[in-house]
Amino acid sequence: MFLFITRRLFFALLLLFAVSVVTYLLFSALPVDPAALTCGKNCKPELIAANRVRLGYDKPLVEQYWLFLKGIFVGRDYGMGQAAFSCPAPSLGYSFSQHECVTTLIGKTFPVTAFLSIGAFILWMFIGVGSGAIAALNKGKWQDRLANAFTAIGVSLPTFYVGLLVLFSVVIWLGILPFPHYESPLEDPVKFLNAMILPWITLAVLSAASYTRLTRNGMLEAMNEDFVRLGVAKGLTRRVVLRKYVMRSAMVPIVTIAGLDFAALLGGAIITESVFSLPGMGKLSIRAVVESDLPVLVGTTMVAAVFIVLANVIVDISYGFLDPRVREK
Amino acid sequence: MSASGTVDQSVAAEAHQNSIASKSPFQLAIARFQRDRVAKFALGIITFYVLVALFAPVICAVLGISPYRLDGDALNDFGLPKGSFGGISGEHWLGVEPGTGRDLLARLMYGARVSLFVGFMATIVTTAIGIVVGVISGYKRGKIDAVIGRFTDLTLAFPSLLLIIALTRPITQRLESFGIPEGNPARIAYIILISAVFGWVYVARIVRGQTLSLREREFVEAARASGAGTWRIVFKELMPNLWASVIVTVTLSMPGYVATESTLSFLGLGMLPPTASWGAMLGDSVRYYRADPTYLFIPGIALIVLVLAFNIVGDAVRDALDPKADRQNIA
Amino acid sequence: MKKRRISAAIGFVLVASVVAAACGGGSDSGSEGGTPQKGGTINILSSAESIAHLDPQRNYTGDDLAFVGSTMQRSLTTYKLSEGDAGSEIVGDLATDTGTSSEDGKVWTFTLKDGIKFEDGSDITCADVAYGVSRSFATDVITDGPSYAISYLNVEGEYPGPYTATAAQQAAYDKAVTCDGNVITFNLKSTVADFNYTTTLLTFSPVPKAKDTGEKYDMRPVASGPYKIESYEIGKSLVLVRNDQWDPETDSERKAYADKFVYNFGLDESAMDERMIADTGEDQTAVSYGILPENLQTIFEGDEALAKRAVNYYDPYVMYTNLNVKSLSCLDVRKAIYLALDRDALRKAGGGPYTGDFADGFVKPALALDYKKPTQLDGLNEDGKPNVEAAKAAMAAAETNCPEIAARAKDGLKFYYPDTEVWKKALAIWIDSMGKAGIKIKPEAVGDPAQYWPTVMNPETEYDIARGGWAPDWANASTVIPELFTTGGGFNLTRNADDPDYKTFETKIEEARNTLDRKEQGVKWQELNQYVVDRLWALPGTFTRAQSMWGSKVGGAFQWGPFGAFCYGNLWVK
Repeated sequence: MFLFITRRLFFALLLLFAVSVVTYLLFSALPVDPAALTCGKNCKPELIAANRVRLGYDKPLVEQYWLFLKGIFVGRDYGMGQAAFSCPAPSLGYSFSQHECVTTLIGKTFPVTAFLSIGAFILWMFIGVGSGAIAALNKGKWQDRLANAFTAIGVSLPTFYVGLLVLFSVVIWLGILPFPHYESPLEDPVKFLNAMILPWITLAVLSAASYTRLTRNGMLEAMNEDFVRLGVAKGLTRRVVLRKYVMRSAMVPIVTIAGLDFAALLGGAIITESVFSLPGMGKLSIRAVVESDLPVLVGTTMVAAVFIVLANVIVDISYGFLDPRVREK
Repeated sequence: MSASGTVDQSVAAEAHQNSIASKSPFQLAIARFQRDRVAKFALGIITFYVLVALFAPVICAVLGISPYRLDGDALNDFGLPKGSFGGISGEHWLGVEPGTGRDLLARLMYGARVSLFVGFMATIVTTAIGIVVGVISGYKRGKIDAVIGRFTDLTLAFPSLLLIIALTRPITQRLESFGIPEGNPARIAYIILISAVFGWVYVARIVRGQTLSLREREFVEAARASGAGTWRIVFKELMPNLWASVIVTVTLSMPGYVATESTLSFLGLGMLPPTASWGAMLGDSVRYYRADPTYLFIPGIALIVLVLAFNIVGDAVRDALDPKADRQNIA
Repeated sequence: MKKRRISAAIGFVLVASVVAAACGGGSDSGSEGGTPQKGGTINILSSAESIAHLDPQRNYTGDDLAFVGSTMQRSLTTYKLSEGDAGSEIVGDLATDTGTSSEDGKVWTFTLKDGIKFEDGSDITCADVAYGVSRSFATDVITDGPSYAISYLNVEGEYPGPYTATAAQQAAYDKAVTCDGNVITFNLKSTVADFNYTTTLLTFSPVPKAKDTGEKYDMRPVASGPYKIESYEIGKSLVLVRNDQWDPETDSERKAYADKFVYNFGLDESAMDERMIADTGEDQTAVSYGILPENLQTIFEGDEALAKRAVNYYDPYVMYTNLNVKSLSCLDVRKAIYLALDRDALRKAGGGPYTGDFADGFVKPALALDYKKPTQLDGLNEDGKPNVEAAKAAMAAAETNCPEIAARAKDGLKFYYPDTEVWKKALAIWIDSMGKAGIKIKPEAVGDPAQYWPTVMNPETEYDIARGGWAPDWANASTVIPELFTTGGGFNLTRNADDPDYKTFETKIEEARNTLDRKEQGVKWQELNQYVVDRLWALPGTFTRAQSMWGSKVGGAFQWGPFGAFCYGNLWVK
């Protein structure tokens, strides 16, 4: 098992390296001139050229990439004279539109996204697995149909639509909550909860849907498995069979997807954060897209990738625990 | 057509039970599906949607409506529909679009053409790639699995929505330079392409996982022991058992692609005017939740009904295809 | 310049029109009376992710100029922080009066007041003002700001700003802007009769050289006004608190009632309107700039209590459509486009009469001296309805006069538009109305609204039609017509340099600029406005109106004419 984990971690590092190369190439191929974006309508060609040098965009792509990579480990300095600035390690670059090192920006926005993701994850796992189990145990009855309808709404409607509907119905039509306004939980826990509850619900409604289906179908399949039938035959109680065999077997695909979904969320819930005005990484990213702020785009993509890759490793390892057949081979 | 091991027995048992000795498992599945009235109704709804989408121009001509014709007279001074319920009238059965007075029924029908096309195409491409890669990966294991696995990991490592948004313009332009007609065709092609690029992985992973545990199962080992070739095992032993999870994935993902289209539209990257799409309608209508709530619900309900129908049919097909469906259930 | 809200597209900072402050927009009403009192917090709701620029030399957005100018930064002169016409009058701000000019209007002097201080307690000196102005020359670092200092000041040779200037270059600047004790003198290249209006721009704000962080100064500028920055986080909030170094004795305009300002960024536009309508909790002391068209009816005609907390006024802008005169070098085709356009439908799509009145030219009536209703194109319906017959006739004429351009119009004209729901509808209307005259429109979407201006201002972008919107920088059409239609103008998207009439036009512009008598000059601008309207280098759209809302506990909420925005600094909590 130890060897298995070490190997996975090694591959994860390799993978991140590959991701950084692809990301860098991908965004360098975008038809925008990062240097031209550093000045507005007064941009003269010689000025753009000067800024290109200042930002290092005049260098060949490979060298640019090397500087970027180096920056992660030793930090990076830009320009000279009074207009100079430096980003300490781990530096992911410098954002001209926000006048800040990308690492600092991510550091500021990440906690918001993390709070959002963790809360939403807990909520949707409870709702998803719970309603899926109820549906499976009541197959074909009204509970099953209701769960089905819930799934349909969850998977079909776009995030912005559900988010705004939740916002408007809870805050305006029902008037239960005041308008959300994000504050750090350390400063104002009440405001924090008020700002988080609706995004949590939105993400839970949207994400739980697929888990309802997966749980339901996974359980139904497992109930028909021979080892489950054997358990029943052995005289184990229904409860024990359900917990030990059915749920466990049904959880395998769910763990895979849950891990990945959660990790993807940690990289920024773009639409949800936008709809609820949460100053998280998703909003940082979308702003970067709008402003063609390449350093930030590369930075957020990389950070998101780190989470996804880590989650992959964890999923793979827990796969081994959940399904012994995989590990043995 | 026969299957080995447990499957064989169950089919035999069922065939006996139904006193229909000569039916193949496929025919049996159809028979089972036909017993599900709700599912048949849902299938009817999907058919209805598809027909409406296909014949939208004819229907509009018959009804004398157009998705493009402006109707300023249907709007008040603020550009909002005159009359209650979003301007529903004998002329405009579902009311009119705020701002332009275009007929919503006509736009909904024309919008279905774009949205269903995007949804179906993206699903087909994604699923096809996903199944092929997943089965190969899970069944062959070893080096091929490792290579595919790394590739999967790489694809999965990217935050897809962010890239979908960031790459819309450059890739659409590139597609246009490859000869795909400018404008909407290129945008539709982009959505299908990018959905496939990021979507196949999810299908592939599930298929691979299933294949991995299936190939360890007795009936597959039995088939292998009896000298069956790879293709035979894949198609005769693995695929029938994979359908269930694939269909679940497909019915869940198809609406997701329609949602992708609408999210792009919401972010200002959707279809070009004056083309109608459900995504554009959803994106536009949320602004009118107060001024014109009828408009808000029209595209939303149209989409939910379709997806619900897909889910019901998907479940029914899954149940029908499941060789063990009629065996007693411990629950 | 940038106008804040235009349509609901979440996550996008929307740039609606280019340019800045104008004069004399008549405001209709403000919040009703009561005695102003000190204390409390004013909240500002915004869909933007940040203030475009806090750096005074880079600030060029009407709303932001109003906010920063009335709270944190002082300039040499300022518009009175008053409602109605008084708001268009200027007074000395850091300067004791509105300056004195030499006979020929080429040398301007301002005397600084005593007791004016930065937030750190140091005195604001003439050198600080001169240094601030010099920063605006460093267009590689100090981007997006107004360029009036560059075009007016008589600096010999190239001056690249203080960061990279050689000693000789700096000396040349120091000759153009001189300090003598607390008297600052500006030597101009040519006559600028209303230079003291130019000095209301924050380009003329002081910056302490020792505290200048260049590029990063935008995040934490040093305050000279009654408020200073407590915290600033892009995408979240900007918090202003009192600057105790500011002496009210030196400032006749800023009243500084509130203890604190909290500017909330990145809000969903629909949610902003809803919060203003709901008027609960902190939102009772909030203001928000702009109202979405779909909510206008609810607010102005649904509920009197709501209408009382909202204002509907003429802002300084003119919205119009640019035609690429180079690709559409045929007046008949341009006429056909204008005649066929359903301006009434376009206005309805934007929210009806609340969008504004149909424009007859590019100078708004509020610029009273420079405005005279131009004679309109023959056959143009003043009610905004299309005249399809006349359009067809114009196309027929084009077929004989310039068949190539006519064929091009039939084949498809590229219309670049920001890809938002509102603009998609506008394009649908364009496509429909042009189709009736046999003209085809090829929609070219610019995905990111923020990239719209950079895209169309790029000379390589081949558009035939592009949108436009402009407001004068002060009450003189010299900040409108030359900016929009001369090759040296900051916002000329018409590509009209090759038009046979352009040379004449440019000569006339020079004449108008050099006319000292303001009334006489006004007549010249009137003629030039007519000149452009006759040639249809661009199509007038609307003289726009704007709407804004405030909470029930906000006092002093009126529209500050020159900026078409709240006079933020003087808002108070009831």
